[in-house]
Amino acid sequence: MIPLRFRAELPPIEEPLVVRLRDWLTGGFRSDREAVLLGIADGGREYDFNGFSLRIEADPDQSLDGDVVMGFPGSSVVHRLVRAGSSHNTFLITERCDQLCVMCSQPPKQAHRDLFPQFEQAALLAPIDATIGLSGGEPLLFKEQLFALIDNVSKVRPDLRFHVLTNAQHFDSDDEAWLRGSARERILWGIPLYAPGAADHDAIVVKEGAFTRLFGSLAILARAGAMIELRTVVTRRNAALLPRLARLIATDLPFCASWALMQLEPIGYGRMNWNVLFHDSSVEFEPIARAMNIALALDIDVALYNFPLCTVPEEYRHYAPRTISDWKQKYLETCRQCSLKPSCGGFFEWYDPKRGFARVSLT
Amino acid sequence: MKKALFLIPSLLAAGFLAPKAEAVPGPSVEPQRGKAPSLFERLRLNHLYTLAAHRSHSSHRSHASHRSSSGGGYSVPRQSPPARTYTPPPSTLYNSPSIVAPDPPTDSRNQSSTPPSSVLPSPPAAALKTLPGNAEKFRKIAEEVQLALLAYGYYTGKIDGVLGPESKAALSKMQADYGLKVTGTITPEVLDALGIVAR
Repeated sequence: MIPLRFRAELPPIEEPLVVRLRDWLTGGFRSDREAVLLGIADGGREYDFNGFSLRIEADPDQSLDGDVVMGFPGSSVVHRLVRAGSSHNTFLITERCDQLCVMCSQPPKQAHRDLFPQFEQAALLAPIDATIGLSGGEPLLFKEQLFALIDNVSKVRPDLRFHVLTNAQHFDSDDEAWLRGSARERILWGIPLYAPGAADHDAIVVKEGAFTRLFGSLAILARAGAMIELRTVVTRRNAALLPRLARLIATDLPFCASWALMQLEPIGYGRMNWNVLFHDSSVEFEPIARAMNIALALDIDVALYNFPLCTVPEEYRHYAPRTISDWKQKYLETCRQCSLKPSCGGFFEWYDPKRGFARVSLT
Repeated sequence: MKKALFLIPSLLAAGFLAPKAEAVPGPSVEPQRGKAPSLFERLRLNHLYTLAAHRSHSSHRSHASHRSSSGGGYSVPRQSPPARTYTPPPSTLYNSPSIVAPDPPTDSRNQSSTPPSSVLPSPPAAALKTLPGNAEKFRKIAEEVQLALLAYGYYTGKIDGVLGPESKAALSKMQADYGLKVTGTITPEVLDALGIVAR
């Protein structure tokens, strides 16, 4: 597992520190925003930040060049906000959420600290052409700050893209103008839709009226020409409903750029509720196949996220990209000799084979 | 070893680096201005996002990330930071600086080379608001350190809170004499040895 935090000794700061780590000096080095590596010893890295020492304990073989880290006063940890070599950089905007999805991998917490200035700095220091995930919790609970963050960053860094994961409960028609502006072309909205009807969807997200509100928001996004990725986590609660959901998407939501069917992530509530929620698609792929056939026939783009390739029938495998984020991805013993491994996303770090897919096989 | 350690901060402080940030490369994507596009046009507009793979399904590599949990929250200490309370280890235990120079290409520490990570943008200075707090605090502590180094005879320069090559040389000398890790920077051990509390 790729670490997202390191033990560290920070300079004497009184505000959160956001700094880009460099292995060597280059043109345009910004001494107020970058720290340069002096040396590595005993697993510790010694950086020079503005003449002050910054020490980070990290595996010496691991490259941190170009990474952006954040540290807080009085803390002995730095958070790796941006990894230069990764396409899976995500800022956790807040841990608050107004839904309580039964399979949530990041259960909400009430405590919130505004880190927008820090996220802005970090985004400005991200590699060229990077896509930055903005997630939560529900990031649109802080809509104004979130939009300002995207605006501020985009002004300086038009090369960056954003992938915002939102439950779409908070758009209103006043947002249309903003959505239509420069935001339109640089944001992909990842929006969960779990069932073709209000009763089922609302029960899964544990919020009454969520389905209706969601469709209102989708209409606003559609009018603005926003780019939408619908996301459906497949569980035993909705597997049988997928063909109907496919029809609904094709007829009512054809403006969506893609529809992702996602396997359950065994962490957070997903782990707690695993035994009641996990739909073993290695045994019962049929409802997923039917839903995909319908959607594809009606010209909706479909993708399978987080499905190990051997659990998917061969003819559907090319819809399953490697989606599990690099830092929480693993392979099993069985995978070692597998010919599909290079194109397979493998398993979540926290996947437990004893409770998992019945059919995991070498191919 | 020591020389190598001086080299970087000194170059940096001596202004051997390009003072101006380079313009950010990347595609010049100008949002359409003027008349608002019709609904039809808006839906037809090319988004910067490439979901090309969706159509062909030949390569899904460019797909968006799974991106669900992002690895827990950020552990923010609740209370205001305590004053540094480093217990200075007995200095005899420090025998020599054990820092090993990293292993980049030999000519990589100057501005003319192009290191592999040159895709990293250098945001224009104006774009980066300096967050309040740290800069001022750094300056004050740096001043105290300079003053102490002056008092101990390591430093003869200005007490300006700016850690230039002279300050860094003085720090390195002091660190070597005290048996501390030689970095040319203000380390917690330096603050302890000089009796400076970074409140």
